[in-house]
Order: sequence, then structure tokens, then C-alpha cells
Amino acid sequence: MPTGWYFILGDILSGVLAGVVAALCCVYLFDQQWPMFIAMFAAMLVGMVVAMVLALLLLMRFFGAMEVMIPTMLAGMWAGMIVGMRASMSSLATIDACLYGALIGLLTVLFCWLVNSRLQGVTSHD
Amino acid sequence: MTDTLTRDKWDRAASTFDLMAGGGAEKRWKTAKQHLFSHMGDGTILFMALGTGLDIPVFPPGKTITAIDISPKMLHCAQPRIAAYDGSINALTMDVHAMDFPDQHFDQIFTSCTFCSVPNPVEGLRAIKRVLKPGGELFMFEHTGSQFFPFKLMMDIMTPLSRKVGPEMNRPTSANVSAAGFEITKIENIYLDVVKTIYARVPSSPPESSRDSPEQAS
Repeated sequence: MPTGWYFILGDILSGVLAGVVAALCCVYLFDQQWPMFIAMFAAMLVGMVVAMVLALLLLMRFFGAMEVMIPTMLAGMWAGMIVGMRASMSSLATIDACLYGALIGLLTVLFCWLVNSRLQGVTSHD
Repeated sequence: MTDTLTRDKWDRAASTFDLMAGGGAEKRWKTAKQHLFSHMGDGTILFMALGTGLDIPVFPPGKTITAIDISPKMLHCAQPRIAAYDGSINALTMDVHAMDFPDQHFDQIFTSCTFCSVPNPVEGLRAIKRVLKPGGELFMFEHTGSQFFPFKLMMDIMTPLSRKVGPEMNRPTSANVSAAGFEITKIENIYLDVVKTIYARVPSSPPESSRDSPEQAS
């Protein structure tokens, strides 16, 4: 978890927003005419790209670079994948897609904080 | 010869660079960068890829620093920060792959988010090794690829896109530092295993393998 409420709230806002926006894009782009696996994979890419653009154009200037880029892209990737898959299986209401996106975004931020708490300060090679 | 493709890419990014990358990242990284730059000594110092000078406010005061960047427009944007620095910064437009400095000229070289963007990173690191004195120190603040799933997968997928507008996201920079012939003394993760500080130095005498085959590492 970052130091200070500004970055804590910024991380949560970034992750949730990226998840919701990616989910919204995917619920409009994918429907039951798509084969599930293709929809899942394509929505994953759509979600990542949407989240990356959102991070680059809006979120990074306020809340950080990789600390924003990585969680938002992960949120976009997972939100896109799950919403795309769900939308290809049965009809999905927009509000439900938003809830999926928000929840996935929040979980992604928590996951990144957890992993970071294990890795931060550790000496490593890439 | 200057890499005009890279120069033009960063020239295009110059006017909006601070807006996109300035505020949040510099706030997040201020403490880590201050700590890294506190190692600036009294010898000759080279700062690689000054950009718009976002790092200058965290430089320790009173230093005499030579700084280079491939983009003249980036350096133009950096002028107010250079002028405000309590010390001396000589900013030059120069490509890391074609530096005009003589061999073994600098005591210390600092980089900040540089080797995510240098087109040939190992060659670039060899070039800065050339201008460092034997025993000279390299201090890097860099973002690199990750070795952990799902970060690695995501960064590998997104790098072809990210390199169009700026940096690559999956560079193995600390491995590149070793491949260029530096001796790594410390690596510290700042965020995940992605943002990190790397401390390295030029071995005082070349290792046996380098003496035997100087062109081997790549």
C-alpha cells in the first residue's frame, strides 16, 4: 500500500475506473454472436488497451507512472476478459458489467499492493 | 550518427511530456530519487537523458553536472529547471550511442528512466562504460520488465504498443547492465520488481572473459 491517502485513494480510483471503463467497452462490443473463447481473448486485449490509454491520458499525471499503469492495465485485462466472456454466453446488463469492472478493479489494486509489499525493497535481478 | 527516429519521437513528446508523466510519478518517486542522487560526489558527473528536467529539483545542490539528451525540444523544455538549479548543469544534445566525450572521462553516471527507451540498450550501456573511469560508478533509476505472472505477460503484450509512443515496458535492464560489462553492486525494488534502483561500477581491471573476447557480450 502506498504512503498517504492521496495515493491510496488514487490507486483505488484508478483501478476501479479502469475496470469499469474496460467493462463498459466490452459489454457494448461483445454479444452472444461471438464464440466465447474468441470473445474472451479479444476482450482481454481491448480491456488492456483501453486501460492503457486511460492511464496515459488521464491517471498517470495525477497518481504515478508504473504504479498506475500496471494495476490499471491488469484491471482492464481481467475486466475485459470476464465481461467479454460473460457477454458472449448470455445477455449482460450494463450495470452488471460496471459492477464486474469495479470489483475486478478493486481486487486488482489489492493484489498489486499485496505483491508489492512482498517485493518492495528486495534486491533482485529482472 | 544520431538516431533520428528516436530523436523525432521524443521531440514530438516534449510539449506534453510533463503533463502526462510529470506530477504523479515525481511525487511517488521523490524519496527514492533523492536517495539515489544523494550519491552525487565532487568528481565529474554525467546525467543521461535529462528530458524536460523533471529530476533536477531532487538533485543535491552545488554539483557540476554534464547532462545529455537526444531531443533538443526536451532540453528546450528543461531550460527553466536548469536555470533554477542551485549548481551548474551543462545540457548538451547528444545520442548515447554517439557520445563525443573522451574515454574514461566521468567519475559517475546517473540515469533516470532512460534505458527503457534507448534503442540498443546493451550498446548504450557499453557506450557509457567507455566514458566512465575504471572504478567509476553507475546509478540507475529505471523501470524494467517483471519476472512474475501476470505482470510479465501483460508487459510483454503491451510493449509493441507502448514503444510507439514512448518506452518499452519489458526491458531486462539489470541483465543488460551485466551484459555490458558492469559489476552490479546493489539492486533495490521500488515498486514490485518493475521500478528499481541499480548500483553498478566499472571493474577496476577487466574480467578474464572480457580480456579474452571483448566482443562476446551482447
